[in-house]
Amino acid sequence: MSAQGPETPHDRVKIKQLPTGVQGLDEILGGGLPEYSFNIIAGAPGCGKTTLAHQIMFTNATPERPALYFTVLGEPAIKMLRYQQQYTFFDQSYLDGAIRFINLSQLVLDQDLGAVLDAIVKEVEASNAGLVVVDSFRTVVRKAHAGASEVELQGFVQRLALNLTSWQATTFLIGEYVEGELRDNPVFTVADGLFWLYQSIERNSIVRKMQVMKLRGQESVPGLHTFRITAGGLQAFPRTFGLTDNKSVHVKGLRRISTGVRELDALMGGGIPEGDSLLVAGPSGAGKTVLGIQFIAEGLERGEPGIVAMFEELPNEFMQRAASFGFDLDKNLKDGSLKLIYLRPLDLSVDETVHEIVNTVKEIGCKRLVIDSLVGFEMALAPDFRTDFRESLYRMIGALTRRGVTIISTVEVEENFTSMGLSNFTISFLADDIVRMRYASINGQLRKIMMVVKMRRSQHSIDMYSYAVTAKGLAIGEPMRGYRGLTSGIPGPWSLESPSPPAAADRNDPNG
Amino acid sequence: MIETLRISLAKFAGDAGFVSLLRRAVALAGAELPALQSVKIGENGRLDGAGSAISALGDEAAVAITAHLLALLVVFVGEPLTLRLLSESRPDTQITFKHPEADQ
Repeated sequence: MSAQGPETPHDRVKIKQLPTGVQGLDEILGGGLPEYSFNIIAGAPGCGKTTLAHQIMFTNATPERPALYFTVLGEPAIKMLRYQQQYTFFDQSYLDGAIRFINLSQLVLDQDLGAVLDAIVKEVEASNAGLVVVDSFRTVVRKAHAGASEVELQGFVQRLALNLTSWQATTFLIGEYVEGELRDNPVFTVADGLFWLYQSIERNSIVRKMQVMKLRGQESVPGLHTFRITAGGLQAFPRTFGLTDNKSVHVKGLRRISTGVRELDALMGGGIPEGDSLLVAGPSGAGKTVLGIQFIAEGLERGEPGIVAMFEELPNEFMQRAASFGFDLDKNLKDGSLKLIYLRPLDLSVDETVHEIVNTVKEIGCKRLVIDSLVGFEMALAPDFRTDFRESLYRMIGALTRRGVTIISTVEVEENFTSMGLSNFTISFLADDIVRMRYASINGQLRKIMMVVKMRRSQHSIDMYSYAVTAKGLAIGEPMRGYRGLTSGIPGPWSLESPSPPAAADRNDPNG
Repeated sequence: MIETLRISLAKFAGDAGFVSLLRRAVALAGAELPALQSVKIGENGRLDGAGSAISALGDEAAVAITAHLLALLVVFVGEPLTLRLLSESRPDTQITFKHPEADQ
């Protein structure tokens, strides 16, 4: 190849990406860590910086290109090894040559930045290190501030980056920084990657999040991503839920699928458009879960795998309830075409929960998903995560429906007898279609009425229907003619003086 | 060749940038030619002690160091940009990379 000629994308240097060993993090980074990059892992004490660096080391270190872990007045190396070996990724055989720990504390205390730089470079050159960690680099910087000017510090960081990168090492400087230090900090200016870890503690829950604030040369996923520290180390939950590829974007509504209640299908104009998100709103006892059971059972009957994500009932209670309506779903549970996801309440992050659902969707090729209920889902989250609830739910529903999964979400509405809200949450924007159930006091009876409030892109009935929850599921009755004020729950007779109600055949504007 | 590269690379990467690359290149070449392990690199990028090593090894040492230096440049900035840099340093020479796999 000559220097002349037009440039093509193939002519550009290909930057190899290293795996982090942290589930979900490579996706957040846009594929992995850029090889030979100079990075900073920042955050408050206890948020997982050292553990993250160890996971990266154990994933990439080899005897030929070992990892060097320089400790500087931070966590003593012996304590660090004592605790880090508790993680499942810690493999003691790596300490025979692939990973080496070097203590620079005395050097930092006794000498200047030049000596520190020389010591690091000497060790890297002697060992042919491919990965370098300095923990805590903040200590080095503090020392610098005590005895050196900012220009000297910048020079030190620049020379360190230059030497380690030229030596083909991927570098991580670990530091206890707060966000206010981000501005005009020479360390952050030189860095190719800046990974910030956060944690907040609220009552009985710890909320951990990470953000890629800077990453040169590749497109990372912006925003805060939840992560957890488990026995296996860090586990990240990207906001993209592992659904970043556009391989199979589903066009919504190419076919209608049955709810499992034929009469309701008719009211909806032929069933739910495949790939839609249907919100079923109604008070306690209205039959929302029953509709969910029928929807799932109908799909299983047609060979469409289904998932029920439940936050209020236990799985065995759900199965008993399904059986009581005549649906024997045991065989589907056994053959894997039905999955019940029960998530333990009170300490969940919304992204973690959504990941569980999305992974199960991918695992079984799910076509029908029931979330029962959104209220229970929100209540199951750690308090600090509730602010993210709607946004994460919106992203999940969007990502799944684009893949052709049809979703029914139930939401409990606190009933009153003066008005008819869709839900106590501002969540109707999540739904392509909405079915509202409610009670109405008629002639001394508490009757159940149902209406299709919204069908995006299609026509639907505008009638309100009575219905009942029978031993076989929902049974739709007659249209509620001759009443006024049905939406208030306390209807009265349609008087002779009033204009006639619209004919049953009338249909509303599909986009109305 | 190394001196030509030094002048050209130091222009945009600085003396320190060139020296850091050269140190790596010499270390990689030293794995193939152990005599080069004694070579020290001055702050300006000149090879101290290279004279004896290079004279002992002939052109082999210079070729090995240059090859690793160019390979490093390709790793970091890619082949087209490396060629551009080389062309700037040797404007009168047509420079191309020969890929071993292309001969097979």
